Amino acid sequence: MNLGFLIGVLGVLILSHAAYSTIQYRGLLKITEEEFSGPPMNVVLELIVGLALCMWAALTFPGKFLSIHPDSDENRAVSLPDNSDFMIFNHRGRLFPPEIDMKF
Amino acid sequence: MGSSEKRSKDVMSDIPTFSAENLQNNLKVIQNSRTFLSIIAGVLAGIIGFTGLTGFVFYFVVMLITSVGLMAKAGFSADLYFDSWNRVLFDGFLGGLMSFVLFWTFAYDLVHIF
Repeated sequence: MNLGFLIGVLGVLILSHAAYSTIQYRGLLKITEEEFSGPPMNVVLELIVGLALCMWAALTFPGKFLSIHPDSDENRAVSLPDNSDFMIFNHRGRLFPPEIDMKF
Repeated sequence: MGSSEKRSKDVMSDIPTFSAENLQNNLKVIQNSRTFLSIIAGVLAGIIGFTGLTGFVFYFVVMLITSVGLMAKAGFSADLYFDSWNRVLFDGFLGGLMSFVLFWTFAYDLVHIF
């Protein structure tokens, strides 16, 4: 989680620096009285880098995907209980043949 | 409240049953990713200076890239994490549109007008 968060913050910082550069560029254009057709090339590069970093952060920071299969290894609903001292197995059930294939 | 819905006679065929709690977690992850990227796309569109239809095209382009990224994150096998492909690709597509327009106008005003 930490690395994704840091990368996201870095991406946002790069984007805000690009915004500030564009503001300054527009101020320059106002002085020379030209039309604003698009941000300068280095700002565009900065925006692409910032977008790539933010995209990477957005895919890793919110969390992992969890498997929804009920019988995958990380979704075990049963496990050996901690109070196995109180469990006895010498009852009538031991005479039944095992029906399902149980995973341990 | 059990964390997985499972009946004992469905042990062999678990296609209609799945862990609903994990599915909700996955949907929340997608939602968060898409919302964050809508905001970033809005800020970007405002900085570049898109006006009109071009901005919305940019938003859909970013959302398509997000879909590809989410598919890659799911390892291109949606069956393991979702119940249908449509959830990964199209859920939350239009929900981020409002955030996009909000931050688009906000960034545009900030950079180009003031």
